[in-house]
This record gives sequence, structure tokens and C-alpha cells, in this order.
Amino acid sequence: MKELSLHILDIVQNSLKANATLIKIKIVEDFIKDRLTIDIKDNGKGMSSDLLKSVTDPFVTTRDTRRVGLGISLLKATAEQCEGSLRVESEEGKGTGIHATFQHSHIDRAPLGSMEDTLTTLLITSEEQMEGGENTSTVDYVYEHQVNDESFVFDTREVKKILEGTPINDLEILDWIKGYLKENLETLVKS
Amino acid sequence: MKVKDLLKEENFRIIAGEEGIEKELQGVYIGDLLSWVMAHLQENEAWITIQSHVNVIAVGVLNDAACILLAEGASLDEDAKKKANEENLAVIETNLTAYELAVKVNKLMKENE
Repeated sequence: MKELSLHILDIVQNSLKANATLIKIKIVEDFIKDRLTIDIKDNGKGMSSDLLKSVTDPFVTTRDTRRVGLGISLLKATAEQCEGSLRVESEEGKGTGIHATFQHSHIDRAPLGSMEDTLTTLLITSEEQMEGGENTSTVDYVYEHQVNDESFVFDTREVKKILEGTPINDLEILDWIKGYLKENLETLVKS
Repeated sequence: MKVKDLLKEENFRIIAGEEGIEKELQGVYIGDLLSWVMAHLQENEAWITIQSHVNVIAVGVLNDAACILLAEGASLDEDAKKKANEENLAVIETNLTAYELAVKVNKLMKENE
């Protein structure tokens, strides 16, 4: 994929399919160690040890079950191309964690892309997957982005408290969130 | 032929590095994996790719590409445009596939011999 944020979007879809209600996305850019790491942790239903073994094998995952798509296999290949690696941890009933690392300066490392677009897209899609048409989202996200030792955290649980029942996927709210993320991430990267 | 001879084609839109259109164009190279391209792209070749970030310009400059041809509607981000302008490396956008682009450039090279 052309941007790492598209990989993130893809992997979070797995978490949503696994009925996660809390998804934590953490990105660390460490220029001193020249590493970029992406962590995605959810509290979804997790995977059996058999599925976990096969999760990075594209030929197992493309069978008609397709409970997990090619997303993890693709991200693994991308990470390995950039002197990095990918690790998956999962426990049934507890959740799943994906941990990918890259050499930050590697020539083949795709740019991160627009995380503000990714997150707002996620906020829209998670709402669509809700049942019963309630006004409160059933999925929350914690997005943490760290550059060297500065970091920025965006937690939808905090945002919802402030919104007092206004849906988080309200267009004006989404627009504000997008701008807020963009501004903070730009400041962070400049630091 | 020169890079500017490509611009007579409709659907070839130059989006950065206009100063670089006088460069000689003597061949075509296609590739998207930058490390691989770095090892194989030859001087004065038009490089066809769908990659669109700043590293593309770095590789194009390093290997003395004639120009960069973006296939299938891929575009450049602002950083990359700025760098292409600084380095006078022409970047041309098209909606053609890499194959269609290569065929077209080949035809133009024959016509301009």
C-alpha cells in the first residue's frame, strides 16, 4: 500500500469484525534509534492459537472464511522490506495486539500518510457498524503518536464526555476532530 | 528526444520541475520499489512509477532520470513537488497504466529519432 495509514485502516477493520469496543493505536517515531513502530491493540474476541499461527499466511487467510483478510500478511511484508518485523499476540476472549516495526529512514518505507483522515474514516465506519441506532458509539479509540519523547494522545472517550450525547460522527464534529488532529500532529512532527 | 516532446501528448500534465524539460530522454524504466529502482534506473531514462512521496524525487535525482512519469492518476504530495522544483526534475502526471505509458513513450522516441 502506498501509505502506512492504509495498512492501519485495514488492520483496525479486523478489530471491528472481532467486536472490539476499545482500539488503541500507537505510533512511535524514534529518530535517535531510527525506528518507526505501529501498535494496534484491541479488546475484541481474539484468535485461537491455530488461527494465530496462520494469520500471516496469505494462503490460509484467503480461504472462504476470510475472518482475517490479507491485511496482516501485507503489513508483515512491508515491515520486513524495511528492516523491520511484525508480531501478533492474541488471546481468545481478551483481544489482539499487532506490533510492527520499520527502519524509519529506509528508502522503501512508505510514508505514514494522513492519520487524521484515517481516524475520521474509522469514526464514520464504526458508527455504521452499530446496532439499534443509538446515539453513542459502541467503539472507542485511543490514538497516541510519539515523536522522540514528545507525544500526543487523542481519546474518543474524552471527546464523548465533552459532547454530552451529540454523536461523534456528526459532520461538524468530525470536521473539528480532523482539524484538531491535523494541527496537533503537525506541531508534533515539527518538534 | 527531449522531455518536452512528451508534453505535446494530451493527458500528459507536468506538475513539477518545469525547468527540467530540456533533458534528453533515451529510454524508459518501470518500477515502484525504490531500493530496486535505485539499483537499476539508468541515466536519462524516463522513470514510470505510482509512488508519490519525496523519496521518489531523491531516487530520480540520484540516478539522473530524464523525468518521472506518474501512472494511473498517482500524484505528488506537496513536499515532493517542492523538491522536484528545487532539483529541476520534471514530473508528469497521466492516467495511463505503466504499460500504456511505456508503449506511448517508445512510440514517441521512434517518431523523434
